[in-house]
Amino acid sequence: MMKRTLLLSLVLTFIASAVLAETVTVITKENAIREYAKFFAPVKANVRYGDRLEAFATEGDWYKVKYGPSIGYIHRSAVEKRTVASPASYSRKGSSVSESEAALAGKGFNPQVEASYKKQHPEMKFYLVDSVERYPVPDRDVVQFIVAGGLRQP
Amino acid sequence: MMKKYLLLFCSVLMVSTLVSCDTSNFGNISQHIGTAMTVADATSKAARPISEEEEYYVGRAVAAKILGSYQLSTDAVLTRYVNLVGKTVALNSDKPFTHGGYHFAILETNEINAFAAPGGTIFITHGMIRTTASEDELAAVIAHEVAHIAKRDGISAIKSARWTQAVTLIGTTAAKNYTSGEVSQLVGLFEGSIDDIFKTLVVNGYSRSQEYAADEGALQTLAKCGYDPRALPSFLKRLEQRGRSSGGGIMQTHPGTADRIENISGKMPSTAQIHPRATEARMARFSGAVR
Repeated sequence: MMKRTLLLSLVLTFIASAVLAETVTVITKENAIREYAKFFAPVKANVRYGDRLEAFATEGDWYKVKYGPSIGYIHRSAVEKRTVASPASYSRKGSSVSESEAALAGKGFNPQVEASYKKQHPEMKFYLVDSVERYPVPDRDVVQFIVAGGLRQP
Repeated sequence: MMKKYLLLFCSVLMVSTLVSCDTSNFGNISQHIGTAMTVADATSKAARPISEEEEYYVGRAVAAKILGSYQLSTDAVLTRYVNLVGKTVALNSDKPFTHGGYHFAILETNEINAFAAPGGTIFITHGMIRTTASEDELAAVIAHEVAHIAKRDGISAIKSARWTQAVTLIGTTAAKNYTSGEVSQLVGLFEGSIDDIFKTLVVNGYSRSQEYAADEGALQTLAKCGYDPRALPSFLKRLEQRGRSSGGGIMQTHPGTADRIENISGKMPSTAQIHPRATEARMARFSGAVR
């Protein structure tokens, strides 16, 4: 009886996932699939710009997603239903983007345009912008800061 | 045996049908995702919205331009503190993630001002930080800037004709990499977009309705963080007193502070009482960082 119930739940989960799954694409440079729908929940997998995930449920502002063998949560502001091009610096295996999709998605104000702009304006202090972007703020420091200040963990 | 399999099959069919019709939980996926335009749809229209990635590259150039006008602070303690307050605020905002993430930096000037470059880089002047009297007030300033980013106010400053021209050019190019002529045209449009935004941030300011909306968004974010939302009107009152004597800066680019205070009065979200020990801890670290 126990076996049958287990089998039934497995089949139901599979069917529900298949019926509801939608592909979403990571639009942030980097992000993480979390064990539960909280910003500081343990990381189950790291994802990058252009990675495709199967979303099959929502929990508040979070999608429950599948990425490779990992199932977990990602915040809705980190994904979109579309295909993005994977620039060489971000690209990696498993992110299949067709030529036509890439042609559409990688265009616009992109690294190539920024590079040309920099050449024309060497006085612009992009190296300072890079240093601001590289400033490290580890998750554990933010958590400690929140707890010590009696703030709420998002 | 046959009966059991039939029962199993019927159960599966019934549940899958029920689940696919359920809009209380899964329906939200389509609602959220469905609102995002696919790239193919977008490029087929005359003026698709600027993408998150494009916003990031425009924002980097705006930030570089701001850093050409102001000196970046090297105060390590204050930079770390502002980043920790900033990350806490951003995670509780309507848009916790942007393409390149949120970053916070201090500008070495007595001018009282703050700038949100599109995409997530926020600059706060030393003068502005010194005008705040507590961590909650500093968080209020940051929450206002984060709200401008979440609402994409910076990007909306790009003249629509300029963006339409860019989209037309982008749409007519088949390859991912542009020819030198196309790059040259796009760089011109890129530069124009940066100027539109810089002028709005530093000279003209956002519209009154955008500022009011950012204040209202800040109240909600502060409450979500566990900060006291009343810190915003309390800061604005002090700003009004300081601003009268200093002029320029934020007083030049923002609506009158009295009007801003009036706009948020009556919109204060309800919050739990803050424990005195939390207030003490915040004040101690604020005093330690803001010297």
